[in-house]
Amino acid sequence: MTRVSLKGVTKRFGKVVAVDNVSLQVEHGELFTLLGPSGCGKTTTLRVIAGFELPDEGKVFFDDEEVTFKKPYERGCAMVFQNYALWPHMSVFDNVAYGLKLKGLSNEEIKRRVKEVLRLVGLEGLENRSPLQLSGGQQQRVALARALVVEPKVLLLDEPLSNLDAKLRLRMREEVKKLQKELKITTIYVTHDQEEAMSLSDRIAVMDRGKVLQIGPPMEVYMHPKNLFVATFIGRSTLLKGIIKKIEKDRATVSVSENLELVGRFTRGIKLEKGEEAVAIMRPEDFFLNGSASSNVIEGSVELTMFLGPFTQLRVKVDSQVIKAYVDPDMGIKSGTRIRLYIRPENVIIFPLTGWEAKSWAEIEWEI
Amino acid sequence: MKYELPLKPPNIRALRFYLDMTMIAQILFPTFMFLIFLILPLASVLYVATQYNPLEVISDPMYVSFIPHGELIEIKTRLLFRGREITLIKLKGLSFGVILNSLICASIVTICASIIGIVVAFIMARYDFPGKTFFKILATVPLLMTPFINAFVIKKLFDWRDGLISWFICDVLGIPIRIGVTEIAGVIVAQIMTFFPIIYLNVFSSMINIDPSLEEQAENLGARGFHLFRTVTLPLSLPGLAAGAAIVFIFSLEDVAAPIVFNEKRFMSYQILSKFIEATTGRLSPVAATMAVILLVLALTAFAGIKKYVTLRQYAMLSRGGRWSVRVRRPRIKGLIAIYLCLLPLFILAFPQIGVFIYAFCEKWTGPLPEGFTVDHVAKIVIDPLVSRAIINSLTYSLVALLLIVLMGISASYVIARARLSGIELLDLLVTSPIALPGLVIAVGYFYFFTSVFKGTPLDPITSGPSLLLILAYSIRRLPFTARAIFAGLQQVHVALEEASLNLGASRLRTIRSIVIPLIGLNVVSGALISFVYCMSEVSTSITLGGLGGLSELHQAPITLIMMDYLSRVEGPYVVASLGVLLMSIQLTVITLTNVILKQRYAYIGV
Repeated sequence: MTRVSLKGVTKRFGKVVAVDNVSLQVEHGELFTLLGPSGCGKTTTLRVIAGFELPDEGKVFFDDEEVTFKKPYERGCAMVFQNYALWPHMSVFDNVAYGLKLKGLSNEEIKRRVKEVLRLVGLEGLENRSPLQLSGGQQQRVALARALVVEPKVLLLDEPLSNLDAKLRLRMREEVKKLQKELKITTIYVTHDQEEAMSLSDRIAVMDRGKVLQIGPPMEVYMHPKNLFVATFIGRSTLLKGIIKKIEKDRATVSVSENLELVGRFTRGIKLEKGEEAVAIMRPEDFFLNGSASSNVIEGSVELTMFLGPFTQLRVKVDSQVIKAYVDPDMGIKSGTRIRLYIRPENVIIFPLTGWEAKSWAEIEWEI
Repeated sequence: MKYELPLKPPNIRALRFYLDMTMIAQILFPTFMFLIFLILPLASVLYVATQYNPLEVISDPMYVSFIPHGELIEIKTRLLFRGREITLIKLKGLSFGVILNSLICASIVTICASIIGIVVAFIMARYDFPGKTFFKILATVPLLMTPFINAFVIKKLFDWRDGLISWFICDVLGIPIRIGVTEIAGVIVAQIMTFFPIIYLNVFSSMINIDPSLEEQAENLGARGFHLFRTVTLPLSLPGLAAGAAIVFIFSLEDVAAPIVFNEKRFMSYQILSKFIEATTGRLSPVAATMAVILLVLALTAFAGIKKYVTLRQYAMLSRGGRWSVRVRRPRIKGLIAIYLCLLPLFILAFPQIGVFIYAFCEKWTGPLPEGFTVDHVAKIVIDPLVSRAIINSLTYSLVALLLIVLMGISASYVIARARLSGIELLDLLVTSPIALPGLVIAVGYFYFFTSVFKGTPLDPITSGPSLLLILAYSIRRLPFTARAIFAGLQQVHVALEEASLNLGASRLRTIRSIVIPLIGLNVVSGALISFVYCMSEVSTSITLGGLGGLSELHQAPITLIMMDYLSRVEGPYVVASLGVLLMSIQLTVITLTNVILKQRYAYIGV
């Protein structure tokens, strides 16, 4: 088991800063996820750890040993590639045995360990197949087996499930988690799928444009996003712009429009003054229907309904704003109805409008 | 995100990180080879040339003359020939001095070959008509390389006394006219016939690679007929045309076969060659250097001129595989007649190769028609010790060169495709450059460089014979074909396949051996096969350097030198034709093999 640390790692491609001063520490046996939109630098970070990229600045440590300048083949970490990178000219057995042969193990030992790992990933009996004869999910397992069989210090997974169909993805997600817990290998997982990240990880690092914005357990990142980007990237949310009208302890009231005021809480470490511009964020699953409370009630007309299975998503028009809310499908709400929605103050998170230098408003609204 | 960005390594540690010992060796090996066996020899040509005042050459009317000599057409009426009164029309051509002759001849050949090539390519790419397959095969027959004997047969075709054409007009049709093409005109005609397929094939591959929707869009907007061809089809085929035209221009400049056959000394190529014949003494006239520099400048100018349309790397391999179903039209009667009329000359164009075949197997061909059948001539290439030794020489040289080619090709292509090092494109330019360099220039350079700097070593062609130098000349000149094929293969191999191996603990060398080479094996084989064909039929350095050891019993000369030498011997042309048949068989085998192995056809370019 190995602890992986990055200290001030920066990687540029020409003028583009792919990884911007990233520091993080992945503990023994932890499943750590790098989460972010495409182009945020998560894969580059992973490749720096694997030794495919040399950082322009900063250092990489495996335990207390600096490995920044070590070649990929000197690091003892195993990677599962997004496209699996199975060698088409080798059988499943040869693919998996490759790393063991390099270690100079005896043939019996290799056979035993390949058999064992193939059983572990549920591919017994497919040793002599060509990778080209396998389904996507099976190929994925071979790639995983090939990485696991060498008992790597660190397991690196680069969007391993992104090429699978939705159903298979969910199943493989569970299997990856189970295997990782069984084998207790320090694992770094890269994904752009926030749901995948939350369900798998011990801790998540949310990245955007090369920077790590927040590191924490899934629950914490979800409940206490440090900034607007994290808040919008993790989970679904509605954003309303307004002005701080009143502040009481850690509660604040945001005036969104003439008829709409929302009481909410500041995110950790952030305080705003009265009169400042703010953004209130609400998650669709936090709304209650027909609230009779005196505050935080939003009245509007249903513009669109979408049945999503466990719940129905409503697009509710409130003055000029649009709010997304999930409600019980049994309620049978139709478009055009006027409804009242209630949200608890602790579920309304207030962020400063400024200070989030990154994206324009148009972009954020487009994403939700 | 893209990771293949070329980046400037900021420091030595980064350089050491991205380049392991294997890759450093892969960069150094081809670079070193090209330095010794291309750059320094070329530099010595330039050096020798600067030792003499070029004006002395240019001001000599033998080399540059603005007053033409000779007659363009000689017409003799009422000439008594074999008891009949005939009119003799002899196309001869004007001479403007050696340098201008080469330039003018190359330009005329390029233009005429382009016109014929475009017409044939257009018909083949855009029309469907009865007998198309037959004509398609006929159009590729001239691609088969039969050095020297090719021009010999063309000369025979246009001979006014016993030529097939005059015989047909005068003796068969009874029209009292005999036509002859000789001197400079003969060289031009022979070169057009030899080189037009290069244009045809390149333009054809361009045309079938045009997205049909582009033409459909133009038609949709009202363009048709010649207008459509002029505004859409031809401009889109320009890369192929430019590539072919530049090659033809250079080949024409350095062609020695046609000038030798037509005994026309007023060409630069012939002048360089004749200086080599005197060079067995160990001294090569500096005029050769001047000529070589002019050839080099002209060749490089040609390539610079078409750079806009096509990059050097596209030369070595132009895929012939069309990705879409090509638009073909079925013309009506009138169109069909036009097509057949346009394709009729193909019979004449394909005649040399067919003629070579007949020549090799006939008993005697002194009159207009061949007589008898025999395998005696073909048998001679085994029985005649000079010839059989040349075949063994050529095979040995080509196979050893092939070893070097594959090694250099894999090394250079791998680092060009994978090394993240700014400036690696220079290596790419270096290994593809031989395509643009006339072989005669390289031969002159080798002579100067290796007879002085390497005097007395095994590399000195005067003291040790040309074997080693020929092997190296072949491996440098024929590398681009293999290097490009391997590069194309590497582009199909995802980098992650190699990274997965490195990641599991395999070194770079191990990764190349167990992952890369198995995956690009077919590309290596097919590239090597093409290089092999071109090694076997290499002319320029073979007939110059190759002759330096003389033609004793234990000579070191390759096939093509023997072909040149035997051309003027009694009964020699029959042996040369037999060697031509041998070369054609090798080429046909390789074409078939590459088609079967790679399921892809390559545009064969080059002689």
